[in-house]
Formats: sequence, C-alpha cells, structure tokens
Amino acid sequence: MTTATIGIEKRIVVTAALFVLTLTGVIAMSVKVFGFGLPTCLTDVRPFRDGKVITQAPKRYEVHYLARMWRFEPADISIPPGSTADIYLSTADVTHGMQIIGTNINLMAVPGAVNYARVKFDQPGEYLVVCNEYCGIEHHQMAARIHVTDRAAAPPPPPVAEAALGGQELLDKYACTACHSLDGSPMPGPTFKGLYGSKRTLADGTTAVADDAYLLESIEKPNAKTVKGFDPLMPETTIPPAEMRAIIQFIKTVK
Amino acid sequence: MKSAVQPYSRTDVEPGLTKIILFEIVFPMILLILGITMGLLQVLFRAGIIKSQSFLGINYYQGLTLHGAINAIVFTTFFAVAFGHAVIRFYTGKPLLLGAAWWSLILMTGGTIMAAIPMLTGSASVLYTFYPPLKAHPAFYIGLVLLVIGSWVAFFSWIPVFQKWKRENPATKMPLAVLGVFATFIVWFIATIPVAIEIIVLLIPWSLGWTQTVNVPLARMLFWFFGHPLVYFWLLPAYVMYYTMLPKLTGGKLYSDFAGRFTFMWLIAFSAPIGIHHQYTEPGISTTWKFVHAFFTMLVAIPSLVTAFTLAASMEHGARKSGGTGLFGWWKKLPWLDTDRWMFAYLFCGLFIFIFGGITGIINASYSLDNVVHNTAWMPAHFHQTVAGPVFLAFIGGSLLLISTLGGKEIALKRLNVWIPYLWTLGIMVFSTGLFIGGIAGEPRRTNMGLSYTNPASPLYQPSWNVARVAGTIGGVIMFLTVLLYFVIFFGTLLRKKSSAGVLELPVTEPYHDEDIVALQSLRPWLVATVILLIVAYTMPFVELAKARYEGAPRYSPASPVALRK
Repeated sequence: MTTATIGIEKRIVVTAALFVLTLTGVIAMSVKVFGFGLPTCLTDVRPFRDGKVITQAPKRYEVHYLARMWRFEPADISIPPGSTADIYLSTADVTHGMQIIGTNINLMAVPGAVNYARVKFDQPGEYLVVCNEYCGIEHHQMAARIHVTDRAAAPPPPPVAEAALGGQELLDKYACTACHSLDGSPMPGPTFKGLYGSKRTLADGTTAVADDAYLLESIEKPNAKTVKGFDPLMPETTIPPAEMRAIIQFIKTVK
Repeated sequence: MKSAVQPYSRTDVEPGLTKIILFEIVFPMILLILGITMGLLQVLFRAGIIKSQSFLGINYYQGLTLHGAINAIVFTTFFAVAFGHAVIRFYTGKPLLLGAAWWSLILMTGGTIMAAIPMLTGSASVLYTFYPPLKAHPAFYIGLVLLVIGSWVAFFSWIPVFQKWKRENPATKMPLAVLGVFATFIVWFIATIPVAIEIIVLLIPWSLGWTQTVNVPLARMLFWFFGHPLVYFWLLPAYVMYYTMLPKLTGGKLYSDFAGRFTFMWLIAFSAPIGIHHQYTEPGISTTWKFVHAFFTMLVAIPSLVTAFTLAASMEHGARKSGGTGLFGWWKKLPWLDTDRWMFAYLFCGLFIFIFGGITGIINASYSLDNVVHNTAWMPAHFHQTVAGPVFLAFIGGSLLLISTLGGKEIALKRLNVWIPYLWTLGIMVFSTGLFIGGIAGEPRRTNMGLSYTNPASPLYQPSWNVARVAGTIGGVIMFLTVLLYFVIFFGTLLRKKSSAGVLELPVTEPYHDEDIVALQSLRPWLVATVILLIVAYTMPFVELAKARYEGAPRYSPASPVALRK
C-alpha cells in the first residue's frame, strides 16, 4: 500500500462530499431565493370540523379543506384566475393526503394537526385534487375539484335552501354514497341500483322486500336488518322528514 | 460459458446450523410466492384490467398489505438473519450458539404466522406502514414484534462468537464481511427501538381497547425514525455481497478495503437521523428540522457514491487480470453469462438498477422537490429500484447460493439462471419508468385506480395517465414471469438429489489496497457519533410534538368512516 492509493480513495470521498454539499446549497437557494418551501409546524390553528371557502379580498381566498373517509369538503370550488389561496387542511377521521394536480401543493392531513400551504392559480382550468394517502377501502374514490374560471369572479349564488336539495345531493350530504354505490359497483354497503322492490336475503337467513317501510327503517335504524354478506357498519343519522322523503324517492329511481 | 476462475472458498458447517439456515431461506421463499402474486395483481388493478374491489376474494388493499409485509419485511428479515449466520460462521470459523439460533428461528416464524393470519383474513388491511388511526387486529402488531425480537436474538448470539475470535486473533482486522453484518444489525437495532415503542406503547394497548386514543403525529414520527434505517437494513447485506463477493467473481480484488469500512461505518452513523425526509409534507414538524434531516440525508449518499467508484474499480481490476484491455474494452471480460460465476450477474444487475434508485433517492430527499413526488407513483418506482432492485437480486441470488452449497445440490437450469437478473432488470426498468412518468403527472400510489382514475366509466377518469399505466403493467408482468422462472430454478435445485456433502461456499475477496486507517479500526467512536447525531436530529422535533399537545384519534376500520367503539 502506498500513500498515492490512499490519496485516490480520499479524493473520491471528498468529491462525493462536495457533490452532495453542492446539492444542499442548491436546495437552500431554491428555498431562500425562489421561495419553494415545505409546510411547517402550525400550532395556533386548531383542527376544524367544517370545510369552507372564505373570500378575504378580490382574488384572495382562504380554503378550509376537511378530509374525511372518503371525500373532501368542500368538494368543488370555483375561483378566478390569478387568485391566491391559503389552504388549510384538517381531517375528520384517519390520515389522508391532498395533492392538487398541476401545482406544488402536496399535503398530509394528520389527525390532531392542521396543515397549511399557499398556492396561486394563474392558469384557468379544472384542477383535480386527489387523496394520495391510503385512508380505507374507498380511498381511490376520494377526490375533489378546483375550477379556476372567470365566471367565479361573479358573486356566488345565494345559498340553496336545504329542503330544496334533490335526493342525490342529500345522499352526498349525509355521506350515504361513501358506502352505497348508484351503479351497482361493490362498496361496503349494498348498492342502491335496483334496490327498491327487490327481495333481500338477510344475515339471519330470512328475507324481506325492500319497500318504503324497509328503506325508512334501514335509514333510521341501520342495523335492525343486515343484508347477508355485509357488515353492520352504518351509523345512525337524524334526517328531517322532508329530506327523508326525498332520499327514499330518489332511491326508488335508481334502476 | 465455463469459467477459468474458481472463486469459492469452503467451510464445513454443523448440521444443526445448516438446517436453520435452509429453513430461514425456504420458509420466506414460499411466502414470497404469495407476495409476488399480489404484486402482479397490483399492476392489473391499477391499470384497470381488474375493475373491482377484490380479486379471488382478496381486496386490493389487503393484497397491497401482503405484498409489502411479505416482500419487504418478512423475506428481508429472514434472509438477513440466515445470511448473518452464514457469514459469522464462515469468517470466524467458530460454531454459533445454536440454541439462540433456534429461538431466533422460532420467534421469527411464530411472529410471521401470527401477523399473517389477520392479513389473510382481511382484519389487518392497514398496509405495511400501518399508520394509525387505521387499526389492525392486535395479532398483526404482536406478530411484528415477535419477528423483530427473533432477529435481535440472532444478532446478540453472534457477539460472543465474534469476541472469542477477536481474543484469539488480536492483531487481525475484523473481516469486512463481519463488519458489514454487524453494521446491518446495528442499524436494525437502532431502527427497531422507536418502532417497538410505537407498537408496544402506543398501538397494542390502543388496538386492544385498553387506551381509547392514539397520538398520531407522535406515532408517525416514531415510525419514520424506524422507516429510513429500515431501508439500510435491507441494503446492507447487499453491500456486504458487493464488497466481499463481487470483486472475487470478476477474478479480481476489492480496490480499497478502506472504502468498504468507511461505507459501513458511515451508514451506521447516518442511516437513522434522517427519517423526517419521509415527513416533509406533514404538519407538526418545523421547516428547520425538515432541512436538517434533508442535509443529513444528502450526507448518507456519500458512501453510495464511494461504493459506485470502488466497485467499478474492482471490476476493472478483475477484468484486466482476465485479459481485458482498452478504455472500455475490459467490460467484455466480465463474467456476464458465466454459469459457474452466476452470482456476478445478480450483483451487477442490482448495481445497475441502483444507479437509478440512488439518483431518484437524492431527488426525493431534496426538500421542496418532494412536493412534486410525495405519495405519487414516483415513490414505488424509486423503491422498486432499490429494495426490489439491488436488495431483491442480491437476496434471491444469495438464497440460491446458500441452498445449493449448504444442501450439496447442483443449481437446476444453470443457463436459464444467469438470465434471471437481466430479465428482472428489464422488468424493473420498464415498470419504474411507467411509474416515474405517472408520478410526475400526479398519479397517486397505493390506490385502486381501476375503479376511478383509470376507469373510463368513472367521473374521475384521467386519460393522460394511460402511458404510465401501460408501461407499469408491461414491466410488472415481465417481473412476475421472471420470478416464476426463478422459483422453478430455486425449488428445482432444492428438490434435487444431493450430489455432494453440503458445505458452506462463499466467494471471498481479498483487498487490493489494504489501508490501515486508525479512525476505521474500531466501531466504538462511530457508535458514539451515531448516538450524538440521533440526539441532535430528534430531540427538538419530539419536543415540538410534545408542546403542541395534539388531540388523540380513536380507532378506525378501513371499511367504515365511523370510529370503532372497541
């Protein structure tokens, strides 16, 4: 062994070290000069339970995204091009991810904490928002949209009265569609497709016909009857009578 | 092609140890058949070729859990232990503590079976990262703990054997392979302490209903304190083979002994204080500490860059000794398709794939760049080029080497065998290219896309992700078929008649430059540095978490948005 050979190996170590230090310098520059950052620790915002859009000034928005199994609230927002949005992200249940495709926004929603990032939408168009962290068996359906359009500059339409919501909107409002499909595809709960009037085989082996009374009971007392092959997972929900009628009326139409 | 070089050295092994090693190779290999099949199903689900929640009664996310747990946790841990037994036995020339080795085997096997039952019955579909508050059956967590404890038992049983060797050979350097195995298990020990705290203190009582909520940010930080050194635990046995087998297989010597020792010591020190680079996009950790971990992650790339140089130099040395000439002409003299030195192809192909795995790893570590790739398909592309590239090829090659030599059996289908690594490389490169492109476009990882993003009938259909999923599927199918061929060779060899007495045969590399660097003679200063780095890197992030007093989360089943009562 000669000193020259140690020299070669040492040169390799030094070269490798200089290479990674240069990369670190480039990263530091991207943060300091261009402002490409990461979310930081935020302790002054408590987790919230409702998603909303707050207009602070023209083209300045604050969006509170609530991630939950298996949707984002709000699911659909419209803002004009050139808008800057402060995104806050909280979760109602498990860990989720939120990526706004086509932007640098990629945030984890971690139970107990609130995440934050700022984004400016220059290009008009429809931006897909996907959940990119596994959050349960319907994870792949969890998405939302942001419409960046000039029409959004107009004042938002007056809020729609709750009772005027159609049956399908009510299914979304009460998160029924998180577990019941409308097209027959398998989900944790039985599909609504062709449900009305069909003969149901229950877990105890008996059968029942899915008439109005059956649907009402199944919504009010979800686990009174469990269909064979499904688990009694559905929570009890209080739904006003007018909305209940609209929901049952809608389910009847899903053929 | 017949080789002119006889690269193998032999040692007789006690029949008890032979049985233990063979079991620890064959048992996970049988599970791997299931794990690999689940891998094939992933690409078919994601491409929308299978458009449903389940296939053959196995839910997509259940299959994904099995794929990760079997391939990346069970197979790797068993192989690392079996390989460690072989290396320590071979290089110290001393019998191992067989009682401890049996206990290690029993704990690891029992733990694996215990964790496999809830995964197979669908009550642990939480993926192999098991992020709370999704809850698995308690048996899943307890089984993982037993698997880890079993591997610790093996590690601790090697220490007295080595100390005895050291007393008898006070003037000899610790053999490089032994240092590599100890580095592997020191990294594993460091890694598994935080995850043991996560599982035993936070998750098991919570999953049993003894505690009602879990602090998710804390659990996640403990998990990633484990998660990154875990990948070096996978990689280090492959590094041991690169440094101590590959040069010999080319007919040469290791260019620099210093490079190997430096690499192992440096990886011990820097594999753990960097876990937050997996948590860049999370709340609850300040950007200061994210940047510190980014910087340390860059430093952990140094030994891999050094390794690339040293191994290329070693291969060139071997090829020139075999008559290679010219600036690039010597490449022709490497044993590409040599059926006796077949391990060369397994190791070389892994190194080739790791060029891309390493570069993408540096990209992922690059702080704000992670915003573009975090949790996208880019990530599985990266770690298929690492854990399913160099690690997998070295481990299946090593498995075949151990069963054939210890079992005294000729390798079946020798000419096919040397092609396996090249086919695998083709599959991995096509698969990863697809997933890299898809990831940049925003395609999420761990998602049953056939029901949404790749399904023309879904309102979420993304036609622009099609190129990526076609490449991902073709690559995935090539990988699957390659492993099927490998299984034919592996089990064909295993089931053959014995053709000679079983002995342990390993290629043993000598150093070309055997430097004596004081700083690399003893592990002790490096262990001290490791502890200091861990304290520096993790004290403040944990203090930040404690100060924030995050509200705990109840238990959730993956199947329902309603929290579980028990």
